[in-house]
Amino acid sequence: MFLPMSPTAGPLERLWHVVFSGLCLAIFAFLILPLVIVVPLSFNAEAYFTFTREMLSLSPEAFSLRWYRELFTNPQWAAAFRNSLFVAVGATLIATTLGTVAALGLAKLKPALRASVMILLLSPMIIPIVIVAAALYFFFTAIGLAQTLTGLILAHAMLGAPFVVTTVLATLSGFDWNLVRAAASLGAGPVHTFRKVTLPAIAPGVISGGLFAFITSLDEVVVVMFLASVDQRTVPRQMWSGIREQLSPTILAAATLLIVASFLLLLFAEMIRRRNEAARASTHED
Amino acid sequence: MSAPLSAEQMAGASPTAMPADIEKAARRVERRQAFSAALLVLPLIVLIAFAFLIPVGLLLFKSIDNPVVAEGLPETLTALQSWSPADGLPSDAAYTGLKRDIEKAKAEGTLGVIGARLNQDTPGARSLLQATGRRLDATTDADPHQAFIAIDKRWGEPEIFGAIRNAGDRYTLNYYLNALDLTRNTAGDIIAKPEGQRLHINLFIRTVWVSALTAFVCFLLAYPIAYLLAHLPARRANLLMIVVLLPFWTSILVRITSWIALLQKQGVVNDALASLGVIGEAGRLALIYNMTGTIIVGTHILLPFFVLPLYSVMKTVNPNLVRAATSLGASPFTAFRRVYFPLTVPGIFAGSSLVFILCTGYFITPALVGGQNGQLISNIIAYHMQQSLNWGLAAALSTLLLVMIGIVYFLYTRLVRDQR
Amino acid sequence: MTSLVSLRGIQKTYDGKQLVVKNLDLEVSEGEFLTLLGPSGSGKTTVLMMLAGFETPTTGEIVIAGQHMTRLPPQKRGIGMVFQNYALFPNMSVAENLAFPLEVRKLPTVELRDRVEKSLAMVRLTPFADRRPSQLSGGQQQRVALARALIFEPRLVLMDEPLGALDKNLREQMQYEIKQIHARLGVTVVYVTHDQSEALTMSDRVAVFNDGIIQQICPPKELYERPGNSFVAGFIGENNRLSGVVRKIIDDECLVEIAPGVTVKARKVGVHATAEPTTLSIRPERVKISPQAGEVDTVIAGEVESVLYHGDHIRAHLRGLGPAPFVVKLPNTNGAAATLVAGASVSIGWASRDCLALDLMEA
Ligand SMILES: Nc1ncnc2c1ncn2[C@@H]1O[C@H](COP(=O)(O)OP(=O)(O)O)[C@@H](O)[C@H]1O
Ligand SMILES: [Mg+2]
Repeated sequence: MFLPMSPTAGPLERLWHVVFSGLCLAIFAFLILPLVIVVPLSFNAEAYFTFTREMLSLSPEAFSLRWYRELFTNPQWAAAFRNSLFVAVGATLIATTLGTVAALGLAKLKPALRASVMILLLSPMIIPIVIVAAALYFFFTAIGLAQTLTGLILAHAMLGAPFVVTTVLATLSGFDWNLVRAAASLGAGPVHTFRKVTLPAIAPGVISGGLFAFITSLDEVVVVMFLASVDQRTVPRQMWSGIREQLSPTILAAATLLIVASFLLLLFAEMIRRRNEAARASTHED
Repeated sequence: MSAPLSAEQMAGASPTAMPADIEKAARRVERRQAFSAALLVLPLIVLIAFAFLIPVGLLLFKSIDNPVVAEGLPETLTALQSWSPADGLPSDAAYTGLKRDIEKAKAEGTLGVIGARLNQDTPGARSLLQATGRRLDATTDADPHQAFIAIDKRWGEPEIFGAIRNAGDRYTLNYYLNALDLTRNTAGDIIAKPEGQRLHINLFIRTVWVSALTAFVCFLLAYPIAYLLAHLPARRANLLMIVVLLPFWTSILVRITSWIALLQKQGVVNDALASLGVIGEAGRLALIYNMTGTIIVGTHILLPFFVLPLYSVMKTVNPNLVRAATSLGASPFTAFRRVYFPLTVPGIFAGSSLVFILCTGYFITPALVGGQNGQLISNIIAYHMQQSLNWGLAAALSTLLLVMIGIVYFLYTRLVRDQR
Repeated sequence: MTSLVSLRGIQKTYDGKQLVVKNLDLEVSEGEFLTLLGPSGSGKTTVLMMLAGFETPTTGEIVIAGQHMTRLPPQKRGIGMVFQNYALFPNMSVAENLAFPLEVRKLPTVELRDRVEKSLAMVRLTPFADRRPSQLSGGQQQRVALARALIFEPRLVLMDEPLGALDKNLREQMQYEIKQIHARLGVTVVYVTHDQSEALTMSDRVAVFNDGIIQQICPPKELYERPGNSFVAGFIGENNRLSGVVRKIIDDECLVEIAPGVTVKARKVGVHATAEPTTLSIRPERVKISPQAGEVDTVIAGEVESVLYHGDHIRAHLRGLGPAPFVVKLPNTNGAAATLVAGASVSIGWASRDCLALDLMEA
């Protein structure tokens, strides 16, 4: 992971090179270590949040699946997983559909108009989430959507859609609109052209935007806190109570599962991005 | 040799001489295209309006909306119209009006709400109103003035009427005064709250300070790794990018859980330090549930938001520029200072304003790891929303927070423009 | 003329697998204008980067003015360099760009100002001193880059396709200006281009690069008149290629059979023995149509396939000599094209000194 050093470098430069490499190593450790550390801790046989002496000496009795068993048998957690998945899938479907369609429209708007519409569409990303959550609480209570899964799904769709818009717009910026004209000149109708020409071209953006929306919903806790009833608790909401009320290694087990899930999703997203880049590079070569 | 004809001369007419009907037709075509494009954006705008703009707008409106007293005690307020606390006690009409208002409120069941509203400015007002409501009866009709004072001697002081009048405006700026640690004295003048009660300004200052510090720490950590990522061969850079992105993709609550496991008194870091003998059992460090915790965890969560924009700016810096500087005689350090670093400043601006803005709105992290002194403005907003139920104040604080974010964003766009 | 730069046995690989530069030996004389000419990807930039110190040769050594460069970092080499796309510092004005090398050399302010002014005057950019590079046209940026590489008076200046981004007219004007400056200052220039006409018009010597190897290094005239192999013949100017077999060698000439029973006389360049396969190269403008007796050494019959009118000259494609059309280029003088109509049979001919027998061109 180190930068190559020029053989003509002087002593000062060499010293800096070593310091710099060490610094980078430390920063990467800071980024990744907190995620790595929970994995072994979640197999703790004791109800501690740290390594026991026995764990450090690697004695097999110190490790157990106790907290995973707890996680899977506890009806509250089971309901939380179910709710999270249901809300995330619903929100992702809405966000991806509306976001993709909106990006297609935005790409054709005049730049000045597009810029102002974009500010409107992206503002949910920077407004503090507490304000959004509180606002939704009052409004959804007034119209009867508070404490319903529909309300949660709509709120999460709104939070996820900006990601879809930006990723799809980014893919569209490299899209050759002559392809659409070509398809039309060959006799394809607009729906057919969209399915066979536009959609395949923007699919990487749609998928990675959708993944972002999915993760956003899966990670969201503040809106859930304001909007959801006890039966509608999601995994992060459950973890929130866990951290607030009874700090048990069960949440470490849940955290480990979520880390594995996000790692897989990230690999998937990276794969899509690379394939997209490779495809783009090959069309630009000739 | 004659000069060749210019393209314009050959085109003949200038563009302004275009026949009017063609121009109109062109504009019609353009409008139709814009319309169909707008139609595609519409569904999302509807969603955003429904689940964001309208709710947030209504919430912010609560910061000036003040219907409870105005609608609850109308006759009292009418009687108090030309009265001021300096005049001493109000006229009997005010007492009569108050009596009728209270009876009506009692019948409608709104007395508690009115009391709660008055309680926000005048502690004890709620129980006073409730008790008064219970003890009012037909016998008080004769001399409401004395009857009220008999029920509670606070009715014999002008302050309570001043409070009613201050709370009686249909639209009010009082929530903003409160949010800015200001208040009105009974005469209605704006004055600063007593020293001990100025929490909000301190909280705003703390929020700005924590955000600035977090942005600065993020800058210190992001610059080296963004540089590394931008200058490594693509394959290795992609691998390391995953290390940056993985925390980004992992649930915030998971990361907070990990940090608690690491940093708490009986956590991994303290255990390690203690067993190494660096600290004694008694000297375990308080790394979490305080401001330190908020900043450490905040930095970890926001670092990717600094690395990514900085990285993309660094990728666009032509490597030949640094080469040019060295070929002109600059040492690598001079080349970095004079050429490379200035060119990455836009990335630093982007990263720090992003981190700063996100951090000012931070809620989850301070709530879970901030302890007492690590709470930020969002947490107090949530407190007034959920616990004290002073929604007007929460809305006023929200508005001020949004204004602050807007200012930072504006400054950022100005900086970026000046860079060009 | 004394040698200023010596490259000895230089090899370079980036990935440890493929040699980008293979066994390069090159001497550059003091005050010389040497051009490295070759197709894109042939390793020209790599050679410059090694000279400037941004890349290290895998093997071999570089000596400049008697000093070994191996351990000398770029900032101590004192070599001026004009980069591809100029590499002007976008965060500095034109004057600041020019002052940069003087500042890092800690020149006194007065002298620095003076030098910057003179330099601006030299490239006629005095009114633009306070502009940012992005506010200049391509040609002006190019002149700033040139001035910046020269302002600290290096003995050696490297230029990597400095005119590549300019349009044709501007390019020709800048070629002239660079030549002027070179003549006036007497600096040594190593110039890289993939444009053959630029190489031919500007250089004292041209080194033709291909595949990491110098194919030929000599003055421009010789390069065109006496290409050393078929790559050079093909890369510099146009040529017709006929493949054949050497039948007989007489001093520096040879007889080549290009079709059963058809033998032509050619100058021997890249052939060594009889029965060897060879490629004949004939420049289109050296071919005569319907030659007079005694005017040429070789006469062959052909059939006109097509005629293209180019204004100042006429090109004809002929059939019947080898698989590819045989190109003939005639100046457009009165009546030159009279016999050239599609389908007509014509006789063509050339002098044997204009017909070169080269190495076999790989397909
Ligand atoms: N930094 C580098 N890393 C790896 N390969 C390189 C690098 N620079 C150039 N190459 C490769 O070396 C070969 C020669 O490149 P270059 O010297 O730039 O050629 P030219 O300047 O003649 O176009 C090319 O195949 C190119 O891909
Ligand atoms: Mg090159």
